[in-house]
Amino acid sequence: MLFHTWPFALFFIIVYPAYLALKNTKLRVPWLLAASYFFYACFNPLYLILISYSTLLDYTVVMKMAKSARRKMWLSISIVNNLVLLGFFKYGGFVTDNLNLLLSSLGITYFLPAPGIILPVGISFYIFQSMSYTIDYYRGNIEREMSFIRYATFVSLFPRLVAGPIERAKNLLPQLHKPPRVSIQDVADGLSLFVVGFFKKVALADYMALYVDRVYDAPEQFQAPALVLATFLFSWQIYFDFSGYTDMARGVARMMGLSLMLNFNNPYLATGLGDFWSRWHISLSSWFKDYVYIPLGGNRKGKFNTYRNMFLTMVISGLWHGAAWTFVIWGAVHALGRFCTRELERTSFYKERVPKVVKQLLVFVFVSFAWIFFRAETISDAWVIVTRIFGSGLANPYCPLLALALIFAVWLYQFAYESRLKWVLELRYVRVGIVLLVIIYLTVFAPASEKAFIYLQF
Amino acid sequence: MQKKDILDARCSMLDTRRSRKSRIGDVPFGSNCVRLSGYEWIFVGIVALALFCFVPTLWERLEKSEPAPDYRLPYELGNDYWLYSRYCRWATSKYETLVIGDSVIWGHFVSKYDTLPDYLNRIAGRDQFANLGVDGIHPVALAGLLKYYGHDISNKKVVLHFNPLWMSSRKHDLQTEKEFRFNHPRLVPQFIPNIPCYKDPYSRRISALVERYVPFLSWTSHLKITYFESMDLPRWTMEHPYENPANAVTFELPAFANNSRNEHISWTEKGTSKADFQWVELETSLQWNFFQRSVKLLKERGNSVFVLVGPFNEHMLKGESIEIYRKMKSKIEDWLQQNNIAYYMPATLPSELYVDASHPMSEGYAMLAKQLFENESFKTSILAPSLKPRSVGDYSSGDFASSDAVTHAPYRRAKMDFSR
Repeated sequence: MLFHTWPFALFFIIVYPAYLALKNTKLRVPWLLAASYFFYACFNPLYLILISYSTLLDYTVVMKMAKSARRKMWLSISIVNNLVLLGFFKYGGFVTDNLNLLLSSLGITYFLPAPGIILPVGISFYIFQSMSYTIDYYRGNIEREMSFIRYATFVSLFPRLVAGPIERAKNLLPQLHKPPRVSIQDVADGLSLFVVGFFKKVALADYMALYVDRVYDAPEQFQAPALVLATFLFSWQIYFDFSGYTDMARGVARMMGLSLMLNFNNPYLATGLGDFWSRWHISLSSWFKDYVYIPLGGNRKGKFNTYRNMFLTMVISGLWHGAAWTFVIWGAVHALGRFCTRELERTSFYKERVPKVVKQLLVFVFVSFAWIFFRAETISDAWVIVTRIFGSGLANPYCPLLALALIFAVWLYQFAYESRLKWVLELRYVRVGIVLLVIIYLTVFAPASEKAFIYLQF
Repeated sequence: MQKKDILDARCSMLDTRRSRKSRIGDVPFGSNCVRLSGYEWIFVGIVALALFCFVPTLWERLEKSEPAPDYRLPYELGNDYWLYSRYCRWATSKYETLVIGDSVIWGHFVSKYDTLPDYLNRIAGRDQFANLGVDGIHPVALAGLLKYYGHDISNKKVVLHFNPLWMSSRKHDLQTEKEFRFNHPRLVPQFIPNIPCYKDPYSRRISALVERYVPFLSWTSHLKITYFESMDLPRWTMEHPYENPANAVTFELPAFANNSRNEHISWTEKGTSKADFQWVELETSLQWNFFQRSVKLLKERGNSVFVLVGPFNEHMLKGESIEIYRKMKSKIEDWLQQNNIAYYMPATLPSELYVDASHPMSEGYAMLAKQLFENESFKTSILAPSLKPRSVGDYSSGDFASSDAVTHAPYRRAKMDFSR
């Protein structure tokens, strides 16, 4: 059940009025849990077994931790359990494939059978959220959640269940404790977020996907202009797709009086890679910072260790996105880029002389280059794309001008949003006019999209 | 104060004002300014609703169409149900009798000048019969088409064709469990009754349901089908990357070839072999059940319904299927008689007058038209003067720009040679 489809509209039409009716009663949280589990079961009812198990285990671990002196042991049990779950369901195929490759390179003819497991939707998101709860409790940052139902709702809350944002317990759990006050402004805000997210996904991301898929499915048939444009379009596609999902998730939550964290903040206006990661998938970046980068030592133990920690964090982050070497390379490329821009940003020339727009352009080009490894099916495909970008002809790319015009309009909007012209965008006529245009475009021209969100596969 | 300072002050003032409105103030709203208040949303809702209500009506006035008397909905626009609805409105205002059915009525293998309604008009010597056939439509979809898009077919004379071909196998009758991509899925019942071979996702089914009740949505489909080659805008721009989509919207229905789209050769000449059709039981047939519903619906709307069954190409049947077919035909006849419905079940035409199992050649249509005019039931129910003629004022002037030629022009081809 995806946010931009009719079944979700039907689901929400049933769930929301009941939620409003129950919001001041004890049934509010159980209703939310039931709705969330139903939402998840629509993808595959078997997924419920996994999420229930993970939830129950972490809830029990924290309960034991509260009563035991061996807190570290219980934390380890939680972390190992979560990582084994993630490893088994997400990386099982990847590990056996690579082991088989290793065995054959050693001349051993035995092949490990492929596990053939379906990757449960959203597993990386709810497992990370659940882990953050146990770690935060271990560190003494949060109180223990006494109610299992409330904790299960925190893990499975349907707006953010399948693709985040990865919420922290200290933000979301307190909101589940008290009855929400749903004001008219909350409903209006929720609608605003939802409509913008819907537009990003259906009108923009799925549009870009048409061209990107055409080129990336057979990169050897295209020349430099098409490959460059497809790569740039993919940069926007993945942004529109994921931030569109987040906007819709935040909008739905907002209508229910719940506040989810901001996950994207115009990342393609970043002036450095550090800045980019503070704007892109913020909930994941901050998760890695708090639970991987800082525990590894952060930037406290000299330049070498700082860069080592940065590199490890980025590579793990790459691997989090998918079980393939292309994601590892993507993480590594970002790590290398981060080293370079970090050093560059320390020079007075770069800081003072290079215009902001040039820095933004450089970051965008670098990030787009890295997306090649993220999007390509295989390393050899990625290599073909990179080599053909620099070494093939200049054939007509046949890229729709309308797609480019839409991207340019969005970029211009974002640019104005972060400039002194922001007040123009704040004007009532402009805001209302934009929403009307968005609604007209969506109803008249946009396709009846059923394309899943890219991040659902992670 | 410098201009820069004024702008900064204005920005910060707006930020403060907006953040004050937000109750959940500790989390940023978003990374854009598209944030409306409740009142602004109400305004947007009203404007959007007004657009949704009036745009399709306005469009009918802007988009001119001058259908000729022998008009039939172009094959390429067969899925444009909004246009069909509009065409129905126009046809009911101009013609006395509407001929409804599938490709046999539409004339799949003949040009638009050689269809059954056209031959009927030639014999009548005037434009009495409108071709409301839709190529590829089957009885289950036709029932949906009439129910949701044929509201204007009321208090008229209707010739409703039933093509037994749709019962010639479980697959044609949409009863196989295996998925089968049949024509016009958006017109069939989406949930109840369940159509076993229909496996579209729920999302598409709900969308089809909603479209039936919201004319604005069927109008958007009309735009896509008519101007964007049945594609949505993004897909169309993929095919025409450097063209301006606005130029594609010409406000004129595209002209399509009038000629037959398929080879007009008899089945014997083509060398098609005889077949042993696996007829489904009439009592359990989905297609027959929905045909009955269509008859009932048309009668409920005050129409005088005349049913034409076949003529099926019995020369093509072999083995037991001939007997089974004849028994089925007899059961159909019983039902029509029991329900007091005027009908005609012509005997099978000469073998060489069929293109395939159900489609006559143009000479076959001519012969069928002649037989109909000789049929007593047809004479009393269709050719007799209409009891409840509709007045011109019943119709919108925007429906298919008024074509006086249809009713007043002398018939062009009255002297027809039916012997060819």
